[in-house]
Amino acid sequence: MANNIKELILIATLIFLLAPLFIILYVVIYNRRKMRHIEEKEQMKHAFDAEIIKTQLEVQEQTMQNIGADLHDNIGQLLSLSSLTLNSIQLEDLEKARQKIDAAIDLTGRSIKEMRLLGKLLQGDQLLGVGLSEAICHEINWVEKSGKFQVNYVNEGDLPANNNLDKDLIIFRILQEVINNIIKHSMATQINIKLAYADGNMQLNVEDNGVGFNLDNLQTARPEGGGMGLLNMQKRAKIVGGDVFIKTQQGEGTSTTVIIPYP
Amino acid sequence: MPATIYIEAACFIVAVICLIRDANWVWRSMALFLLITCLTEITGKLLRSGHHSNQWLYNVYLLFEAGFTSLMFNKVLSKYINSKILIIGGAGVFLASYVYDLIGHGFLVFNDITATVMSVVFVIYSFLYFYLLIRDDQYVDLIKSPAFWWVTGALFFYFGSTAVNLFFAFLRDVQVAGHNITYFIFSALSAILYACWSYSFICRRWQTTSKN
Repeated sequence: MANNIKELILIATLIFLLAPLFIILYVVIYNRRKMRHIEEKEQMKHAFDAEIIKTQLEVQEQTMQNIGADLHDNIGQLLSLSSLTLNSIQLEDLEKARQKIDAAIDLTGRSIKEMRLLGKLLQGDQLLGVGLSEAICHEINWVEKSGKFQVNYVNEGDLPANNNLDKDLIIFRILQEVINNIIKHSMATQINIKLAYADGNMQLNVEDNGVGFNLDNLQTARPEGGGMGLLNMQKRAKIVGGDVFIKTQQGEGTSTTVIIPYP
Repeated sequence: MPATIYIEAACFIVAVICLIRDANWVWRSMALFLLITCLTEITGKLLRSGHHSNQWLYNVYLLFEAGFTSLMFNKVLSKYINSKILIIGGAGVFLASYVYDLIGHGFLVFNDITATVMSVVFVIYSFLYFYLLIRDDQYVDLIKSPAFWWVTGALFFYFGSTAVNLFFAFLRDVQVAGHNITYFIFSALSAILYACWSYSFICRRWQTTSKN
């Protein structure tokens, strides 16, 4: 009996002596996990920053494309017409010359107006600094100028005073891509855009009355022309904790909704 | 001379080399504490070989041990919390048990209750340090952390001491190779303590020289 107690005491002593070893092992393992967690967080931050920079570049690229198209289609045409009008002036017929000069002045005035709009478009990505809604308005102005679409824009709910530039950029880039898709593929005549803020979420909804498409076929396809694609839009939204939902059927238009926790 | 005295002396030399120019006086004081430890051990050994009681000497040494170790715990815990109140509280408990021991059996008998209480207090400090370390968001490279190695040594020594003190009545009868088993346990615990502390001082030296 006494021997058994002695053995028990020896075992208990041994356990006591070894216990610190297990405690320290636990601390070391936990600390390693902490390091891995910190590294993962760092990697995620790098990936996020890279995605934001990519988005910024895409917004700039899109803006430059819009400007290029505008220069070619509008201002270029107006200035060519002004040049033709001025070239056709015959000073012998003063009355006709006056009419042509007036027409050239009008064309030049319109060119200046277009140039001013272009200037604002050029600041498109910088407009996000002023506010997402403002930037959307400028994008809509550009779309409406083509005369092919009637665009309705509604801003519902008070946007938070503290805006989040990264999230604004992502929402704006998704909007640009959705509008691009509408212009290129939808054959729509009406676009309804709604920006709403409720319950800590920013919600952007874009609807068109176009031909729609088969969502299953496009779910994994890469778009032609290097656009974002559906998966990419979702990936972008997910890096800020949001999501993109698309409802469409052939012949029944498309509705795209982006929901992002905000700010 | 017992092996532990050589281990303590080696740790003292490492402390002198690594900490003598340390900017922090608490770390620097470890060299002084180890000098006191070595002198106490040598004097204790000499008293014993002259058939004199050395228990009063270790009663005096307890005061230094509690003081210097508490200072160091305050230093390592203050990185995470305001540890002054805790350390003062611990010192209060220590002094109360010291007085209780002295009243109970006088100055010439070793204060074994105080030693056990002190060990328990230091074990609690060590647990608290590890808890705060893992709870902290900041990652610490433990291999090079002087505070971690210092607390690790203290935890091994005081946790083991507590166990031996608790079971001492049973363990004193166990003989191994002509010695009491507690002799081997304390020798092993001392070796672990001073090895960890020596490495901690080396880490401290690396840390301070790399900062400069």
